[in-house]
Amino acid sequence: MHEISLVQNLFHQLADLAKQNKMSKVISVTMQIGPLSGVVIDSFQFGFDILSKDDDLIRGAQLIINTTAVTYRCSKCGATQQSSGVKPDGCSACDEQFLFAEGGDELILQKVEME
Amino acid sequence: MCDSCGCASPSDHSHTKTVDVHESLFAANENIAKSNREHFEAMGAVAINLISSPGSGKTTLLEHTIEHLREEFRIGVIEGDIETERDAERIRAKGVPVVQLTTGGACHLDATMTHKGFHQLQKEPGGDKLDILFIENVGNLVCPTSFDLGEHHRIVLVSVPEGPDKPAKYPKAFTSSDTFLITKTDLLPYFDFPVEEAKAEALRLNPKIKVLDFSSKTGEKFDEWLDFLRNLATEVKRQTA
Ligand SMILES: Nc1nc2c(ncn2[C@@H]2O[C@H](COP(=O)(O)OP(=O)(O)OP(=O)(O)O)[C@@H](O)[C@H]2O)c(=O)[nH]1
Ligand SMILES: [Mg+2]
Ligand SMILES: [Zn+2]
Ligand SMILES: [Zn+2]
Repeated sequence: MHEISLVQNLFHQLADLAKQNKMSKVISVTMQIGPLSGVVIDSFQFGFDILSKDDDLIRGAQLIINTTAVTYRCSKCGATQQSSGVKPDGCSACDEQFLFAEGGDELILQKVEME
Repeated sequence: MCDSCGCASPSDHSHTKTVDVHESLFAANENIAKSNREHFEAMGAVAINLISSPGSGKTTLLEHTIEHLREEFRIGVIEGDIETERDAERIRAKGVPVVQLTTGGACHLDATMTHKGFHQLQKEPGGDKLDILFIENVGNLVCPTSFDLGEHHRIVLVSVPEGPDKPAKYPKAFTSSDTFLITKTDLLPYFDFPVEEAKAEALRLNPKIKVLDFSSKTGEKFDEWLDFLRNLATEVKRQTA
């Protein structure tokens, strides 16, 4: 459950952003989370819900999560295919088994709406 | 007058603002990891992060490695554990500098904890000049994979009794590691663990991963691990010198 400590980091960052922008309430937080980020989205949402209850700045804020895809590139022919997480068994073009994963490890705070 | 924007009336418009941030939540950890790496390199040490489920044989591997390589390399260890000092005591008994980080419940080490541990280690006798720094992470195949500690090399261990399906079940441990060690091979006669299949599965996830298998207990193929470590230490030193 390192999602909890990641949510804590996020809240520190939100507090800094609110201060810089002289805002007192966070309305929504948009995150981008990839299937290879090591973050379980349900746990992240759970941590956000629990911790925001005790945080005046963030209480009631909406968490919007955009998921990203992983691109698998064939080590032999270079063909690529997208996957939402599960690694394909082989290259769709030549059946080669060795595929390199590209991207999909994002855990990015994209934007924050505040008032 | 409205406090937040200085307009005449606070009631006729809303003061919401959307800020584009686009920053990774791992960024803070990664910055500290980078500075850790500089600390390690300033000392000339190669840092190795060991990740596995509880009980895969990380501490046992370190005990035997220290016995074999003590005369060749100055070795130090940072031990991560949720509660106890036990692993550090086992390493201390081998006569090398060690610090125990008790994470107080956290299921992984992060760069900040490692940074603190490193400075503590420097104060231990012999801890100020190392060739190899081992960092034994908290026993867990999930959380530690997301946190760069500043290591030069990441190793994932799976022991024979755990079964060969770990790469398939915990892919990130394998995609983020440089080397995969299959440990406790003396137990192969008692467990169904097709070594070649496990290797192939790991390679399928990460074509660049290096795979070794050995037993710390009987010493079977342990020399291959020691040679691997010698090469790694020399290689990283050459690259970072
Ligand atoms: N048969 C056999 N047992 C081993 C071997 N290596 C370790 N063990 C045993 O496995 C158990 C766990 O070993 P540890 O080295 O403490 O494992 P660890 O990964 O450090 O465990 P945590 O720190 O709790 O995550 C101990 O009882 C060891 O004696 C081996 O090569 N063969
Ligand atoms: Mg241990
Ligand atoms: Zn964790
Ligand atoms: Zn192909």
